[in-house]
Amino acid sequence: MNAEQPRKRVREGWLSDRLGWGGISTALAKHRAPRRGFVFYLGGITLFLLLVQVLSGVLLVLYYKPDSTNAHASVERIVGEIPYGDLIRGVHVWASDFFVACLVAHLFTIVIRRSYKPPHELTWLSGLVSLVIGIGMAFTGAILPWSQKAYAQARVGSEIAHNIPLIGGWMHRLLRGGQEVTSNTLSNAYGFHVAVLPATVTLLVGLHLFFLSRKPAPVPVSEQVVDEEPGAQGEADAAKAPAAPVDDDDTIPLYPDFLYRQAVAWVGVLVAVLTLAIFADRPLGEAADPRLSSTGAQPPWYFLPFHQIIRSSPRELLGIDGAKFIVGATCFLGALVVALPFLDRKGSKLMAWAGWIVLFVLFLLATSALS
Amino acid sequence: MSNDEPKSPPRRDFLGIAVGGSATVFAVAAGYPVARFIEPRTRPPSGPTVVGKVLEFPPGTVKSVMVDERPVLVVRAADGQFRAFSALCSHLQCVVGYAPERNQIECPCHRGVYSMDGQNIGGPPPRPLEELQVSVNEGAIIVSSVG
Ligand code: FES
Repeated sequence: MNAEQPRKRVREGWLSDRLGWGGISTALAKHRAPRRGFVFYLGGITLFLLLVQVLSGVLLVLYYKPDSTNAHASVERIVGEIPYGDLIRGVHVWASDFFVACLVAHLFTIVIRRSYKPPHELTWLSGLVSLVIGIGMAFTGAILPWSQKAYAQARVGSEIAHNIPLIGGWMHRLLRGGQEVTSNTLSNAYGFHVAVLPATVTLLVGLHLFFLSRKPAPVPVSEQVVDEEPGAQGEADAAKAPAAPVDDDDTIPLYPDFLYRQAVAWVGVLVAVLTLAIFADRPLGEAADPRLSSTGAQPPWYFLPFHQIIRSSPRELLGIDGAKFIVGATCFLGALVVALPFLDRKGSKLMAWAGWIVLFVLFLLATSALS
Repeated sequence: MSNDEPKSPPRRDFLGIAVGGSATVFAVAAGYPVARFIEPRTRPPSGPTVVGKVLEFPPGTVKSVMVDERPVLVVRAADGQFRAFSALCSHLQCVVGYAPERNQIECPCHRGVYSMDGQNIGGPPPRPLEELQVSVNEGAIIVSSVG
Protein backbone atom coordinates (compact mmCIF):
# COMPACT_ATOMS: atom_id res chain seq x y z
CA MET A 1 0.00 0.00 0.00
CA ASN A 2 1.62 3.29 -0.99
CA ALA A 3 1.31 6.57 0.98
CA GLU A 4 -1.19 8.00 -1.48
CA GLN A 5 -3.83 5.38 -0.69
CA PRO A 6 -5.06 6.62 2.75
CA ARG A 7 -5.32 10.15 1.35
CA LYS A 8 -7.24 8.79 -1.57
CA ARG A 9 -9.59 6.98 0.79
CA VAL A 10 -10.25 10.25 2.64
CA ARG A 11 -10.86 12.04 -0.63
CA GLU A 12 -13.34 9.43 -1.70
CA GLY A 13 -14.97 8.51 1.64
CA TRP A 14 -18.48 9.17 2.92
CA LEU A 15 -17.52 12.27 4.91
CA SER A 16 -15.39 13.59 2.12
CA ASP A 17 -18.34 13.36 -0.27
CA ARG A 18 -20.36 15.54 2.06
CA LEU A 19 -17.60 18.03 2.83
CA GLY A 20 -16.20 18.25 -0.64
CA TRP A 21 -12.80 17.56 0.91
CA GLY A 22 -11.14 16.97 -2.44
CA GLY A 23 -11.77 20.58 -3.40
CA ILE A 24 -10.60 21.92 -0.05
CA SER A 25 -7.38 19.90 -0.03
CA THR A 26 -6.62 20.84 -3.61
CA ALA A 27 -7.14 24.51 -2.76
CA LEU A 28 -4.93 24.20 0.33
CA ALA A 29 -2.25 22.36 -1.61
CA LYS A 30 -2.01 25.31 -4.00
CA HIS A 31 -0.81 27.54 -1.17
CA ARG A 32 2.88 27.35 -0.50
CA ALA A 33 4.66 27.65 2.83
CA PRO A 34 8.36 28.02 3.61
CA ARG A 35 10.24 24.75 3.72
CA ARG A 36 12.69 25.72 6.47
CA GLY A 37 12.59 27.81 9.61
CA PHE A 38 10.99 27.14 12.96
CA VAL A 39 9.68 30.71 13.08
CA PHE A 40 7.02 29.87 10.49
CA TYR A 41 5.43 27.42 12.89
CA LEU A 42 5.07 29.90 15.77
CA GLY A 43 1.72 31.28 14.69
CA GLY A 44 0.21 27.82 14.37
CA ILE A 45 1.66 26.74 17.71
CA THR A 46 0.14 29.83 19.33
CA LEU A 47 -3.24 28.94 17.88
CA PHE A 48 -2.89 25.38 19.15
CA LEU A 49 -2.03 26.65 22.65
CA LEU A 50 -5.12 28.85 22.56
CA LEU A 51 -7.16 25.74 21.85
CA VAL A 52 -5.50 23.86 24.73
CA GLN A 53 -6.36 26.74 27.04
CA VAL A 54 -9.96 26.87 25.88
CA LEU A 55 -10.42 23.13 26.43
CA SER A 56 -8.72 23.03 29.84
CA GLY A 57 -10.49 26.29 30.79
CA VAL A 58 -13.90 24.83 29.97
CA LEU A 59 -13.15 22.01 32.42
CA LEU A 60 -11.95 24.37 35.16
CA VAL A 61 -15.10 26.49 34.84
CA LEU A 62 -17.13 23.48 36.02
CA TYR A 63 -15.68 23.82 39.52
CA TYR A 64 -14.47 27.41 39.79
CA LYS A 65 -16.52 29.90 41.84
CA PRO A 66 -16.02 33.52 40.78
CA ASP A 67 -16.58 35.39 44.05
CA SER A 68 -14.01 36.62 46.50
CA THR A 69 -15.20 34.38 49.35
CA ASN A 70 -15.09 31.10 47.43
CA ALA A 71 -12.68 31.60 44.53
CA HIS A 72 -9.47 30.56 46.28
CA ALA A 73 -11.12 27.63 48.04
CA SER A 74 -12.63 26.44 44.77
CA VAL A 75 -9.21 26.43 43.08
CA GLU A 76 -7.76 24.62 46.12
CA ARG A 77 -10.52 22.06 45.71
CA ILE A 78 -9.80 21.65 41.99
CA VAL A 79 -6.14 21.04 42.76
CA GLY A 80 -6.56 18.98 45.92
CA GLU A 81 -9.78 16.99 45.58
CA ILE A 82 -11.01 16.74 42.03
CA PRO A 83 -9.44 13.80 40.13
CA TYR A 84 -6.77 15.13 37.75
CA GLY A 85 -7.67 18.66 38.80
CA ASP A 86 -4.04 19.57 39.44
CA LEU A 87 -3.09 18.23 36.01
CA ILE A 88 -5.82 20.22 34.25
CA ARG A 89 -4.98 23.41 36.14
CA GLY A 90 -1.28 22.79 35.46
CA VAL A 91 -1.96 22.38 31.73
CA HIS A 92 -4.04 25.57 31.72
CA VAL A 93 -1.41 27.61 33.56
CA TRP A 94 1.60 26.30 31.61
CA ALA A 95 -0.23 26.55 28.29
CA SER A 96 -0.96 30.17 29.14
CA ASP A 97 2.75 30.85 29.71
CA PHE A 98 3.70 29.09 26.48
CA PHE A 99 0.93 30.98 24.70
CA VAL A 100 2.26 34.39 25.73
CA ALA A 101 5.84 33.28 24.98
CA CYS A 102 4.85 32.16 21.48
CA LEU A 103 2.85 35.35 20.87
CA VAL A 104 5.83 37.49 21.84
CA ALA A 105 8.27 35.32 19.84
CA HIS A 106 5.89 35.48 16.86
CA LEU A 107 5.81 39.28 17.12
CA PHE A 108 9.58 39.59 17.27
CA THR A 109 10.17 37.22 14.37
CA ILE A 110 7.74 39.25 12.29
CA VAL A 111 9.61 42.47 13.17
CA ILE A 112 13.05 40.98 12.66
CA ARG A 113 12.02 39.43 9.33
CA ARG A 114 10.14 42.65 8.45
CA SER A 115 7.10 40.64 7.42
CA TYR A 116 4.80 43.49 8.46
CA LYS A 117 5.59 45.54 5.39
CA PRO A 118 2.89 46.22 2.78
CA PRO A 119 0.68 44.51 1.77
CA HIS A 120 0.59 42.77 5.16
CA GLU A 121 -0.76 45.68 7.22
CA LEU A 122 -4.08 44.01 8.04
CA THR A 123 -2.41 40.76 9.09
CA TRP A 124 -0.06 42.79 11.29
CA LEU A 125 -2.82 44.83 12.91
CA SER A 126 -5.08 41.84 13.60
CA GLY A 127 -2.08 40.02 15.06
CA LEU A 128 -1.14 42.92 17.31
CA VAL A 129 -4.66 43.29 18.68
CA SER A 130 -4.72 39.53 19.28
CA LEU A 131 -1.44 39.89 21.19
CA VAL A 132 -2.90 42.58 23.44
CA ILE A 133 -6.01 40.48 24.04
CA GLY A 134 -3.86 37.40 24.67
CA ILE A 135 -1.96 39.29 27.35
CA GLY A 136 -5.31 40.51 28.71
CA MET A 137 -6.44 36.89 28.96
CA ALA A 138 -3.30 35.97 30.85
CA PHE A 139 -3.71 38.99 33.15
CA THR A 140 -7.38 38.33 33.97
CA GLY A 141 -6.62 34.63 34.43
CA ALA A 142 -3.90 35.44 36.95
CA ILE A 143 -6.49 37.29 39.08
CA LEU A 144 -8.95 34.39 39.26
CA PRO A 145 -7.31 32.29 42.04
CA TRP A 146 -7.78 35.35 44.31
CA SER A 147 -4.57 34.68 46.15
CA GLN A 148 -2.42 37.35 47.80
CA LYS A 149 -0.43 37.57 44.58
CA ALA A 150 -3.58 37.71 42.42
CA TYR A 151 -4.98 40.52 44.58
CA ALA A 152 -1.76 42.55 44.27
CA GLN A 153 -1.73 42.00 40.51
CA ALA A 154 -5.32 43.19 40.26
CA ARG A 155 -4.37 46.33 42.22
CA VAL A 156 -1.21 47.20 40.33
CA GLY A 157 -2.58 46.17 36.93
CA SER A 158 -5.69 48.31 37.25
CA GLU A 159 -3.65 51.22 38.59
CA ILE A 160 -1.26 50.99 35.64
CA ALA A 161 -4.31 51.03 33.35
CA HIS A 162 -5.43 54.16 35.22
CA ASN A 163 -2.35 55.94 33.87
CA ILE A 164 -3.14 55.21 30.22
CA PRO A 165 -3.81 58.52 28.46
CA LEU A 166 -7.46 59.33 27.62
CA ILE A 167 -9.11 56.00 28.45
CA GLY A 168 -7.28 55.30 31.73
CA GLY A 169 -10.08 56.31 34.11
CA TRP A 170 -12.66 54.24 32.26
CA MET A 171 -10.36 51.19 32.07
CA HIS A 172 -9.58 51.48 35.77
CA ARG A 173 -13.27 51.41 36.68
CA LEU A 174 -13.99 48.63 34.24
CA LEU A 175 -11.14 46.42 35.44
CA ARG A 176 -12.04 46.96 39.08
CA GLY A 177 -15.78 46.86 38.64
CA GLY A 178 -15.92 50.11 40.63
CA GLN A 179 -13.38 52.28 42.43
CA GLU A 180 -11.89 49.59 44.61
CA VAL A 181 -10.49 46.08 44.16
CA THR A 182 -13.32 43.93 45.49
CA SER A 183 -15.34 40.87 44.61
CA ASN A 184 -16.63 42.90 41.62
CA THR A 185 -13.08 43.00 40.28
CA LEU A 186 -12.96 39.23 40.42
CA SER A 187 -16.30 38.73 38.69
CA ASN A 188 -15.36 41.25 35.99
CA ALA A 189 -12.04 39.47 35.45
CA TYR A 190 -13.93 36.18 35.22
CA GLY A 191 -16.39 37.53 32.65
CA PHE A 192 -13.59 38.92 30.53
CA HIS A 193 -11.45 35.82 30.91
CA VAL A 194 -14.06 33.22 29.99
CA ALA A 195 -16.29 35.11 27.57
CA VAL A 196 -15.38 38.54 26.22
CA LEU A 197 -11.68 38.05 25.51
CA PRO A 198 -11.80 34.47 24.13
CA ALA A 199 -14.69 35.42 21.82
CA THR A 200 -12.83 38.51 20.62
CA VAL A 201 -9.56 36.68 20.13
CA THR A 202 -11.30 33.91 18.17
CA LEU A 203 -12.78 36.49 15.84
CA LEU A 204 -9.45 38.25 15.45
CA VAL A 205 -7.50 35.04 14.85
CA GLY A 206 -10.07 34.14 12.18
CA LEU A 207 -9.48 37.52 10.53
CA HIS A 208 -5.72 37.14 10.94
CA LEU A 209 -5.80 33.80 9.10
CA PHE A 210 -8.10 35.19 6.44
CA PHE A 211 -5.76 38.14 5.82
CA LEU A 212 -2.82 35.76 5.79
CA SER A 213 -4.51 33.55 3.23
CA ARG A 214 -5.09 36.57 0.99
CA LYS A 215 -1.55 37.89 1.38
CA PRO A 216 0.69 35.04 2.51
CA ALA A 217 3.83 35.76 4.49
CA PRO A 218 6.89 36.38 2.34
CA VAL A 219 9.19 33.38 2.19
CA PRO A 220 12.95 33.73 2.65
CA VAL A 221 13.85 33.96 -1.05
CA SER A 222 11.38 36.77 -1.79
CA GLU A 223 12.82 38.56 1.22
CA GLN A 224 16.23 38.62 -0.47
CA VAL A 225 14.57 40.21 -3.47
CA VAL A 226 13.01 42.92 -1.30
CA ASP A 227 16.40 43.62 0.25
CA GLU A 228 17.42 45.00 -3.09
CA GLU A 229 15.10 47.98 -2.41
CA PRO A 230 12.50 47.48 -5.15
CA GLY A 231 10.93 50.50 -6.73
CA ALA A 232 7.25 51.33 -6.68
CA GLN A 233 6.62 48.92 -9.53
CA GLY A 234 8.37 46.13 -7.66
CA GLU A 235 6.17 46.68 -4.62
CA ALA A 236 3.02 46.74 -6.68
CA ASP A 237 4.06 43.45 -8.27
CA ALA A 238 4.77 41.98 -4.86
CA ALA A 239 1.32 43.07 -3.71
CA LYS A 240 -0.28 41.41 -6.69
CA ALA A 241 1.75 38.22 -6.43
CA PRO A 242 -0.22 35.14 -5.38
CA ALA A 243 1.15 32.59 -2.96
CA ALA A 244 3.14 31.16 -5.79
CA PRO A 245 6.25 29.13 -5.11
CA VAL A 246 9.32 31.30 -5.38
CA ASP A 247 11.55 28.30 -5.67
CA ASP A 248 10.57 24.72 -4.99
CA ASP A 249 13.63 24.24 -2.83
CA ASP A 250 12.33 26.94 -0.53
CA THR A 251 8.63 26.18 -0.32
CA ILE A 252 6.36 23.22 0.30
CA PRO A 253 2.59 22.82 -0.20
CA LEU A 254 0.56 24.11 2.76
CA TYR A 255 -1.38 20.85 2.68
CA PRO A 256 -0.36 18.21 3.47
CA ASP A 257 3.37 18.93 4.00
CA PHE A 258 3.32 22.12 6.06
CA LEU A 259 0.24 21.23 8.10
CA TYR A 260 1.61 17.77 8.91
CA ARG A 261 4.85 19.34 10.13
CA GLN A 262 2.81 21.83 12.09
CA ALA A 263 0.95 18.93 13.71
CA VAL A 264 4.26 17.39 14.74
CA ALA A 265 5.21 20.71 16.37
CA TRP A 266 1.86 20.71 18.22
CA VAL A 267 2.54 17.24 19.58
CA GLY A 268 5.97 18.42 20.78
CA VAL A 269 4.47 21.46 22.50
CA LEU A 270 1.74 19.37 24.09
CA VAL A 271 4.31 16.94 25.47
CA ALA A 272 6.28 19.88 26.92
CA VAL A 273 3.15 21.40 28.52
CA LEU A 274 2.07 18.04 29.97
CA THR A 275 5.54 17.33 31.33
CA LEU A 276 5.68 20.68 33.08
CA ALA A 277 2.09 20.32 34.34
CA ILE A 278 3.00 16.97 35.91
CA PHE A 279 6.46 17.74 37.27
CA ALA A 280 6.64 21.53 37.80
CA ASP A 281 4.24 22.66 40.47
CA ARG A 282 2.62 26.10 40.20
CA PRO A 283 1.82 26.94 43.83
CA LEU A 284 -1.48 28.64 44.44
CA GLY A 285 -0.31 30.80 47.35
CA GLU A 286 -2.32 32.07 50.30
CA ALA A 287 -5.87 33.34 49.90
CA ALA A 288 -6.11 37.09 49.42
CA ASP A 289 -6.33 39.18 52.55
CA PRO A 290 -6.61 42.83 51.51
CA ARG A 291 -5.25 43.94 54.88
CA LEU A 292 -1.90 42.23 54.35
CA SER A 293 1.09 43.82 52.67
CA SER A 294 1.55 42.73 49.04
CA THR A 295 4.71 40.73 49.84
CA GLY A 296 6.01 38.43 47.10
CA ALA A 297 3.78 39.99 44.48
CA GLN A 298 6.23 39.42 41.64
CA PRO A 299 4.45 39.98 38.33
CA PRO A 300 4.32 37.23 35.70
CA TRP A 301 7.53 36.86 33.65
CA TYR A 302 6.19 38.77 30.65
CA PHE A 303 5.70 41.89 32.74
CA LEU A 304 9.15 41.70 34.37
CA PRO A 305 10.87 44.20 32.03
CA PHE A 306 8.09 46.72 32.60
CA HIS A 307 8.16 45.98 36.34
CA GLN A 308 11.89 46.71 36.42
CA ILE A 309 11.44 50.04 34.62
CA ILE A 310 8.63 51.03 36.99
CA ARG A 311 10.67 49.95 40.01
CA SER A 312 13.73 51.97 39.05
CA SER A 313 11.90 55.04 37.81
CA PRO A 314 12.28 58.35 39.62
CA ARG A 315 9.25 59.93 41.26
CA GLU A 316 9.00 62.51 38.51
CA LEU A 317 10.14 62.65 34.91
CA LEU A 318 9.99 65.97 33.04
CA GLY A 319 7.63 67.24 35.72
CA ILE A 320 5.23 64.31 35.25
CA ASP A 321 4.51 61.62 37.82
CA GLY A 322 7.06 58.82 37.12
CA ALA A 323 4.52 56.00 36.66
CA LYS A 324 2.31 58.18 34.46
CA PHE A 325 5.28 59.12 32.30
CA ILE A 326 6.37 55.50 31.84
CA VAL A 327 2.88 54.26 31.00
CA GLY A 328 2.41 57.18 28.57
CA ALA A 329 5.80 56.50 26.93
CA THR A 330 4.93 52.79 26.64
CA CYS A 331 1.63 53.68 24.94
CA PHE A 332 3.51 55.95 22.54
CA LEU A 333 5.98 53.17 21.70
CA GLY A 334 3.03 50.79 21.29
CA ALA A 335 1.46 53.23 18.81
CA LEU A 336 4.73 53.30 16.86
CA VAL A 337 4.76 49.50 16.74
CA VAL A 338 1.17 49.51 15.47
CA ALA A 339 2.13 52.00 12.77
CA LEU A 340 5.28 50.10 11.75
CA PRO A 341 4.03 48.97 8.32
CA PHE A 342 2.97 52.53 7.53
CA LEU A 343 6.19 54.12 8.80
CA ASP A 344 8.60 51.56 7.41
CA ARG A 345 7.03 50.89 4.04
CA LYS A 346 10.00 49.15 2.50
CA GLY A 347 10.89 47.06 5.53
CA SER A 348 14.29 48.55 6.28
CA LYS A 349 16.98 46.36 7.80
CA LEU A 350 17.28 48.92 10.58
CA MET A 351 14.03 47.60 12.04
CA ALA A 352 15.42 44.09 12.16
CA TRP A 353 18.36 45.40 14.19
CA ALA A 354 16.01 47.45 16.37
CA GLY A 355 14.01 44.25 16.99
CA TRP A 356 17.10 42.38 18.18
CA ILE A 357 18.21 45.30 20.37
CA VAL A 358 14.76 45.64 21.98
CA LEU A 359 14.71 41.90 22.63
CA PHE A 360 18.13 42.07 24.27
CA VAL A 361 17.18 45.08 26.43
CA LEU A 362 13.95 43.36 27.52
CA PHE A 363 15.97 40.29 28.47
CA LEU A 364 18.40 42.39 30.54
CA LEU A 365 15.53 44.19 32.28
CA ALA A 366 13.75 40.92 33.05
CA THR A 367 16.85 39.32 34.53
CA SER A 368 17.63 42.39 36.62
CA ALA A 369 14.02 42.41 37.89
CA LEU A 370 14.60 38.93 39.27
CA SER A 371 17.65 40.01 41.27
CA MET B 1 -29.08 54.52 -24.00
CA SER B 2 -32.84 55.02 -23.87
CA ASN B 3 -34.35 58.14 -22.27
CA ASP B 4 -36.85 56.31 -20.12
CA GLU B 5 -34.10 54.60 -18.00
CA PRO B 6 -34.62 55.50 -14.30
CA LYS B 7 -32.50 58.42 -13.05
CA SER B 8 -32.60 57.24 -9.41
CA PRO B 9 -29.70 55.06 -8.16
CA PRO B 10 -30.04 51.41 -9.01
CA ARG B 11 -32.02 49.31 -6.55
CA ARG B 12 -28.91 47.45 -5.35
CA ASP B 13 -27.20 50.71 -4.39
CA PHE B 14 -30.29 51.82 -2.56
CA LEU B 15 -30.48 48.53 -0.65
CA GLY B 16 -26.79 48.74 0.18
CA ILE B 17 -27.21 52.27 1.58
CA ALA B 18 -30.33 51.24 3.49
CA VAL B 19 -28.66 48.19 5.05
CA GLY B 20 -25.45 50.09 5.88
CA GLY B 21 -27.40 53.03 7.29
CA SER B 22 -29.65 50.90 9.48
CA ALA B 23 -26.66 48.88 10.71
CA THR B 24 -24.90 52.10 11.71
CA VAL B 25 -27.99 53.50 13.42
CA PHE B 26 -28.52 50.21 15.24
CA ALA B 27 -24.86 50.01 16.33
CA VAL B 28 -25.00 53.54 17.77
CA ALA B 29 -28.41 52.96 19.39
CA ALA B 30 -27.27 49.67 20.95
CA GLY B 31 -23.85 51.02 21.95
CA TYR B 32 -25.16 53.58 24.41
CA PRO B 33 -27.22 51.24 26.64
CA VAL B 34 -24.42 48.65 26.48
CA ALA B 35 -21.83 51.24 27.56
CA ARG B 36 -24.10 52.38 30.39
CA PHE B 37 -24.75 48.79 31.42
CA ILE B 38 -21.07 47.85 31.76
CA GLU B 39 -20.09 51.12 33.45
CA PRO B 40 -19.59 50.12 37.10
CA ARG B 41 -21.66 51.81 39.81
CA THR B 42 -19.74 53.97 42.25
CA ARG B 43 -20.70 53.59 45.86
CA PRO B 44 -20.62 56.66 48.11
CA PRO B 45 -18.19 56.35 51.06
CA SER B 46 -19.85 54.71 54.03
CA GLY B 47 -18.70 57.43 56.47
CA PRO B 48 -16.73 57.01 59.72
CA THR B 49 -16.06 53.36 60.59
CA VAL B 50 -15.44 51.74 63.96
CA VAL B 51 -12.27 49.68 63.54
CA GLY B 52 -11.90 48.23 67.05
CA LYS B 53 -11.50 48.94 70.75
CA VAL B 54 -8.62 50.91 72.24
CA LEU B 55 -7.53 47.81 74.19
CA GLU B 56 -6.89 45.96 70.95
CA PHE B 57 -4.23 48.54 69.99
CA PRO B 58 -1.47 48.53 72.61
CA PRO B 59 0.93 51.53 72.45
CA GLY B 60 3.74 51.04 69.90
CA THR B 61 1.73 48.81 67.56
CA VAL B 62 0.55 49.05 63.99
CA LYS B 63 -2.55 47.24 62.87
CA SER B 64 -4.14 46.83 59.47
CA VAL B 65 -7.94 47.22 59.24
CA MET B 66 -10.50 47.65 56.47
CA VAL B 67 -12.38 50.91 55.92
CA ASP B 68 -14.68 51.24 52.91
CA GLU B 69 -13.20 48.09 51.38
CA ARG B 70 -9.73 49.62 51.55
CA PRO B 71 -6.86 48.60 53.82
CA VAL B 72 -5.87 51.18 56.44
CA LEU B 73 -2.91 51.19 58.85
CA VAL B 74 -3.77 52.31 62.37
CA VAL B 75 -0.61 53.39 64.16
CA ARG B 76 -0.59 53.78 67.92
CA ALA B 77 2.55 55.59 69.01
CA ALA B 78 4.39 54.79 72.26
CA ASP B 79 2.73 57.85 73.85
CA GLY B 80 -0.71 56.39 73.09
CA GLN B 81 -1.61 58.76 70.22
CA PHE B 82 -3.50 57.27 67.26
CA ARG B 83 -2.86 58.01 63.59
CA ALA B 84 -4.33 56.27 60.56
CA PHE B 85 -3.02 56.07 57.01
CA SER B 86 -4.42 54.55 53.88
CA ALA B 87 -2.35 51.38 53.33
CA LEU B 88 -2.42 51.94 49.57
CA CYS B 89 0.93 52.96 48.20
CA SER B 90 0.88 56.33 46.44
CA HIS B 91 2.85 54.79 43.61
CA LEU B 92 0.69 52.00 42.12
CA GLN B 93 -1.57 51.13 45.02
CA CYS B 94 0.06 47.98 46.39
CA VAL B 95 -0.77 47.35 50.04
CA VAL B 96 2.02 48.68 52.25
CA GLY B 97 3.00 47.07 55.54
CA TYR B 98 4.82 47.90 58.75
CA ALA B 99 8.41 46.60 58.96
CA PRO B 100 9.13 46.45 62.74
CA GLU B 101 12.81 45.63 62.29
CA ARG B 102 13.37 48.96 60.52
CA ASN B 103 10.45 50.81 62.15
CA GLN B 104 9.14 52.07 58.83
CA ILE B 105 6.32 51.41 56.43
CA GLU B 106 7.35 49.57 53.29
CA CYS B 107 5.82 48.75 49.95
CA PRO B 108 7.12 45.43 48.68
CA CYS B 109 6.02 45.92 45.05
CA HIS B 110 8.68 48.40 43.93
CA ARG B 111 10.56 48.92 47.21
CA GLY B 112 8.81 52.10 48.27
CA VAL B 113 9.56 53.33 51.81
CA TYR B 114 7.54 55.59 54.12
CA SER B 115 8.36 56.96 57.55
CA MET B 116 6.04 56.22 60.47
CA ASP B 117 4.30 59.53 59.87
CA GLY B 118 3.44 58.47 56.31
CA GLN B 119 6.08 60.53 54.47
CA ASN B 120 7.53 58.97 51.31
CA ILE B 121 11.24 58.65 52.05
CA GLY B 122 12.49 56.11 49.51
CA GLY B 123 11.74 54.40 46.20
CA PRO B 124 9.27 55.48 43.55
CA PRO B 125 6.22 56.60 45.62
CA PRO B 126 5.55 60.20 44.59
CA ARG B 127 3.43 61.27 47.55
CA PRO B 128 3.01 60.57 51.28
CA LEU B 129 0.38 58.04 52.37
CA GLU B 130 -3.08 59.54 52.66
CA GLU B 131 -3.78 60.37 56.30
CA LEU B 132 -7.23 59.72 57.78
CA GLN B 133 -8.95 61.22 60.79
CA VAL B 134 -8.99 59.04 63.91
CA SER B 135 -11.13 59.66 66.96
CA VAL B 136 -11.87 57.69 70.10
CA ASN B 137 -15.40 57.52 71.40
CA GLU B 138 -16.26 55.49 74.50
CA GLY B 139 -13.31 53.16 73.96
CA ALA B 140 -14.06 52.65 70.26
CA ILE B 141 -11.62 53.78 67.59
CA ILE B 142 -13.32 55.51 64.69
CA VAL B 143 -11.60 56.17 61.36
CA SER B 144 -12.98 58.61 58.82
CA SER B 145 -13.68 57.16 55.40
CA VAL B 146 -10.95 57.16 52.80
CA GLY B 147 -11.06 60.07 50.36
S1 FES C 1 3.24 50.31 44.39
FE1 FES C 1 4.37 50.82 46.10
S2 FES C 1 6.31 51.25 45.40
FE2 FES C 1 5.16 50.80 43.61
